Amino acid sequence: MSADKLMGGTNLRARVYPRTQCRVTPGGAEVRRVAVVTEPVAKVGKMAENTYNIRPAFQHRFKTEIVKGKINNVLKEELSNKSYDPEEIPNMTRKIAEAIKTEVKECAFERYKLVVQVVIGEQRGEGVKMAARCFWDADTDNFAQEVYVNDSLFCVAAAFGCYYY
Amino acid sequence: MRSSKGKTKDDTWKSEELLKHIKAAQGDHTDDNDKKSREKKRHKDEASTGSSDSREHRHRERERDKERERERDKDRVRNKGKERDGDRHKEREHEKVPKKVKSEERDKEKKQEKEREKHKNRDRDKEKDREGELDCSADQRARNKDKERNSNTERPTNRGHESERHRDKDKERDKKKERDKLQEKAKEKDEIGDQRSKHRQRKDKVSNCASENLDLPKDDKNEEKERKHRERKDKEGRSTENSEESKEKKRRSSEVKDEDHDRRYKERKEHGPRDGHREKRPKERKEPGQEGRVEETEKKRRERKDKESKEDEKKHRYKDIKEQSGKKKKERRSVQEVPNERRPKGSTVEQVACQEKPTESLSEESTSGLQSTWRSSWIGLNDDDALVEGEEIAMDSQSTIESSNYEDDFEDYEDDFEDDECEDEEVEQEKEEMPARQRAEIEEIKKAISAENEQIRATQTRSNRKTYEEEPKRDFEISQTSGPSRGTFIDFVAAKQREISSKVASKQKKRSVELLRLIDLDFSVTFSMLDLPPLNEYDVYIKNFGRTNTKQAFVQCNEDNVDRESQTDELDTVEKWTQHPGEGSLVCGGVNVSDASSSVATNVDSRRLTNFLKSACQVIAVLLEEDQAEYQASQNIQSKTASLSVSDGCSQLNTNLPFLHGRKVLCLRFSQVQRQTLLSVHSLPKEPGVAQLASNYIICVWNIWEPSAPQKVLVCESEVQCCCFGPGNAISVFAGTVDGSVIAWDLREHSIIHYSLQIGGQEWILRNPTFSTDGVLAAVNHSCAVKAVDPVSSAYFDNHGAGLSLLASQEGSSGLSFQLASLDESGLLNLWVVVELQKADLAGSLTDLGLIPGGKIKLIHSSSINVNSFFPRNLMQLGPPQTLSIRFLPSDPNHFFIGTDIGLVSHGTRHGLQTAPKLYKPQMNSVRPVQVTCIDFCHFGKTMFLVGCSDGTIRLHSVATDHPILQWNESTQGRPIQTVLWALTRPGMFFVLDESSHIYVWDLLQNDSKPVAEESLQLDRITTIAILGDPEKPSASSGLMLAKQSGAIEIQYLKKQWSEPHLNELETLHYILQKTI
Repeated sequence: MSADKLMGGTNLRARVYPRTQCRVTPGGAEVRRVAVVTEPVAKVGKMAENTYNIRPAFQHRFKTEIVKGKINNVLKEELSNKSYDPEEIPNMTRKIAEAIKTEVKECAFERYKLVVQVVIGEQRGEGVKMAARCFWDADTDNFAQEVYVNDSLFCVAAAFGCYYY
Repeated sequence: MRSSKGKTKDDTWKSEELLKHIKAAQGDHTDDNDKKSREKKRHKDEASTGSSDSREHRHRERERDKERERERDKDRVRNKGKERDGDRHKEREHEKVPKKVKSEERDKEKKQEKEREKHKNRDRDKEKDREGELDCSADQRARNKDKERNSNTERPTNRGHESERHRDKDKERDKKKERDKLQEKAKEKDEIGDQRSKHRQRKDKVSNCASENLDLPKDDKNEEKERKHRERKDKEGRSTENSEESKEKKRRSSEVKDEDHDRRYKERKEHGPRDGHREKRPKERKEPGQEGRVEETEKKRRERKDKESKEDEKKHRYKDIKEQSGKKKKERRSVQEVPNERRPKGSTVEQVACQEKPTESLSEESTSGLQSTWRSSWIGLNDDDALVEGEEIAMDSQSTIESSNYEDDFEDYEDDFEDDECEDEEVEQEKEEMPARQRAEIEEIKKAISAENEQIRATQTRSNRKTYEEEPKRDFEISQTSGPSRGTFIDFVAAKQREISSKVASKQKKRSVELLRLIDLDFSVTFSMLDLPPLNEYDVYIKNFGRTNTKQAFVQCNEDNVDRESQTDELDTVEKWTQHPGEGSLVCGGVNVSDASSSVATNVDSRRLTNFLKSACQVIAVLLEEDQAEYQASQNIQSKTASLSVSDGCSQLNTNLPFLHGRKVLCLRFSQVQRQTLLSVHSLPKEPGVAQLASNYIICVWNIWEPSAPQKVLVCESEVQCCCFGPGNAISVFAGTVDGSVIAWDLREHSIIHYSLQIGGQEWILRNPTFSTDGVLAAVNHSCAVKAVDPVSSAYFDNHGAGLSLLASQEGSSGLSFQLASLDESGLLNLWVVVELQKADLAGSLTDLGLIPGGKIKLIHSSSINVNSFFPRNLMQLGPPQTLSIRFLPSDPNHFFIGTDIGLVSHGTRHGLQTAPKLYKPQMNSVRPVQVTCIDFCHFGKTMFLVGCSDGTIRLHSVATDHPILQWNESTQGRPIQTVLWALTRPGMFFVLDESSHIYVWDLLQNDSKPVAEESLQLDRITTIAILGDPEKPSASSGLMLAKQSGAIEIQYLKKQWSEPHLNELETLHYILQKTI
């Protein structure tokens, strides 16, 4: 019976999680991507319970600007003066994704399930197109995305927030 | 099941060791023991594994089948079915006899047996194992194993011991099984699969057999015997209990299906608990009481056997250590071979072999020492079969691996098989009591099982597995004891969990369904997360090389080294201006006009300059001519010098030109301004030299210093009576013709508008008159021959005495506007104004009809004066006198003097009152028909003039008086005077030419009565004479121009005494004249 509470919140998605596609023109460049998913958090350390609210309070909404700033900070911190190293990058990708996740968690967006996706690619002059598409409730769900580009690599970090009703 | 097999192997190994050990130690005693145990075992076998015997049979049959299959695969299916059935029938029939004998023994445990038989399907492996164990020499122990498996409860220690030992293997096999199960499921019902499974099963059995044979070489025959007995008994038992069997089989078939499910979820993982569970379930249901009993009896036996087996095990282990692996292998191999070899025999010979073997085995039973030898002989004997066996071995090895996979199939097959059997039996035997009650019971059971299965299926297999896997370890005993209830417990947990999860799921689903009504989920717009355009090559280059520590540099190679020229010196430019025609002092100027002199130079009148140049050119030309002339004169002309006494030299103008050849010179006239310029008029030639000029009179313009050729050649068609230059300069020539026309030439005209003629290799330009009054001004024009043409130059005469300056001023004014007087014979004096046109018209003028195209001078009639009006009336009675010549008074052009043919000279004026004397008369008689041939004014004093008359008289008149001062009548002996000429340099001297070519030189200072000298040139008569000299320059050469009849023109240079004036000569002359008067 406690399971009920534990499982609280409703994942209405069969909701398709953000689907990101990355097209790279042929060439030798590498692209690494990592996605990290968190469980919806009601308050720190607690799982979300069922409520009658189907809309988040304003202060708990997923705010794109704040998240963007956080992502930007993380990216700058992690990637400044870094060059693309195929050995190092997979770990780097994961690290960044985790860092962003924890950063965004601190924003206390209640009842949001976060999906953080980080893509790091080598810059060799190839053209890259990346696009994301989500099946979600545009009222509650949102995403923030930042791009970091330097001479040897580009990094796209996106955080998607899905509200748990 | 796997585990069981493993156990059997191990057991067999152990048993083998054990056997040896025992035999070595105990000798026949063991045999007894064995026998006893065997007997006991037999009972138990019959009770517990009755079916296993029959299985043995089947097993053999199948082996045989297998061989056949190999031989002919096509017939496989058919054969199996039929043969199997057939075999079985035979067997059954065969076994029917002993069945009755042994039925009593079995009665006790019949039901149990049957149940076990029914459960064969499930527990075939175990049964197989059991078979193996049963066949072992250590029958008891095998039985123990059987019991263990049948009822695991009885010997926990042993069980645990074994299970522990083999658990690992079990697990491994379980896993394999699980894996294989998936593959199998699909094939479960498949015939081929079944067959395969049978093969494997058979192989399993083969291996078991092998183990049997290995383990119990001594007991082989015994076993065989026993087996056959047992089988027979089984069959008998079966036949007798067909009714029961059939029922049970039916149930079993249903159960089998159920158990299939069970198997999936449970069995595979654990055979121990499951076995117990499965086996016990039916037992519980059907014969709880019986089972309890059986269990009790079995317990006792097992306890007994356990002890033995423990001992065996110990020994076995002890031996194990000692034994070498190589030996083991050897044995094992041989063991495998033995049964294989034996099998074909068994299969082919079948029952014969079966019956024979026991005897052999019996004989050998006692002599266990012979075992090895026997075996070796076996091997030797059956070497030829080795190939076939080899294959079998291979297959066996395979099958051992796979056998577990096909257990299910095997079971299924068994089901089918037994169903067939059942049917057969049912058909054969009375389909007796099949009470509806039992059927219902079966149905109920089926339902219960299916329900159970479904529950189990629904619960997650994983959790179940865990529980199952954990449980056996934890509480084997418990599981043994509470085996039946355990399955339900597991099911409950799974079901509970499932229930919970489904509950949660349904809740969530409900919630989501409700929420979804309130929430709109939509596909978001596609977010473009990154759009990194591909770099072009240049960007890549710059990216790679255009950054740090690099410089871009360019080097020009020679290929595109372009060579070009350019003007680098600055152009010097100066701004200047100029103006044309230059008027005023400044003709040109500019920024840097520093040289004043140049500008001054340009200030010089260009007209004056051109004039200067013209004259200079002439001078130069003259000088050159002179050089040439001197040179020639030294040769030719100088010889003729002394032709005249008064002259000291002479030169000739070159009139020996083709167009002048044969022409007589009619007139010579010097220009008043340019004293060296001479006009000579040439008459028509006597014989035409040049055809073009035959009918033309020619006027030549000469420069006497250029004697070689005339400067200009003027052409006129009518006879020229008189000619003169213009007053200012020698640029225009006028002439009067016989037919009364006045003609003008402009010497400045360009040569191109005139006709040029190539004569004798030299080009001559023949100038036609620029203007002619012929036929143009008919009203005012002369109607008779023009006797005299004379320009009226007022300026010249006005500024008399100011010689050079006057000349210069005249030249400067270029006065082409002047008057010209022409006098014809009838006394008509016409005055013309010579007008120069500003612009020549090459197309010709419409108004000026007498003008040549391109000509610029024309004559305009100014006034006409009838000279006859000046004559007195008395003279007019004889008719109007013929006027012959006219002279204007040099000091006043208003006065003119006209000579007549009556010996008188009339004096007239152009305008104003007539002045006295009107007539100048000779001294003697006033009027007589004497022509005044010439009048010439003295160049000094200008008031005296000489008149020559045709009667040879010469009169010297003064303008003021009508009578002459002096008159010489007989100076020429009556010959008419042709020309009287005052000398230009001396005032008291004049020359007279008479018609007979005499020249008289008069010097009034020396002698005033007769000429001082007289020359007569009769050889070549002189036609006309002109005097050369300049009154202004007395020192300059002066001479006489003589035109000869032959056409030659000579210049006789006067001697110094004649040409140089004396001191006060004019005063002396005046004095003499005063004295004479």
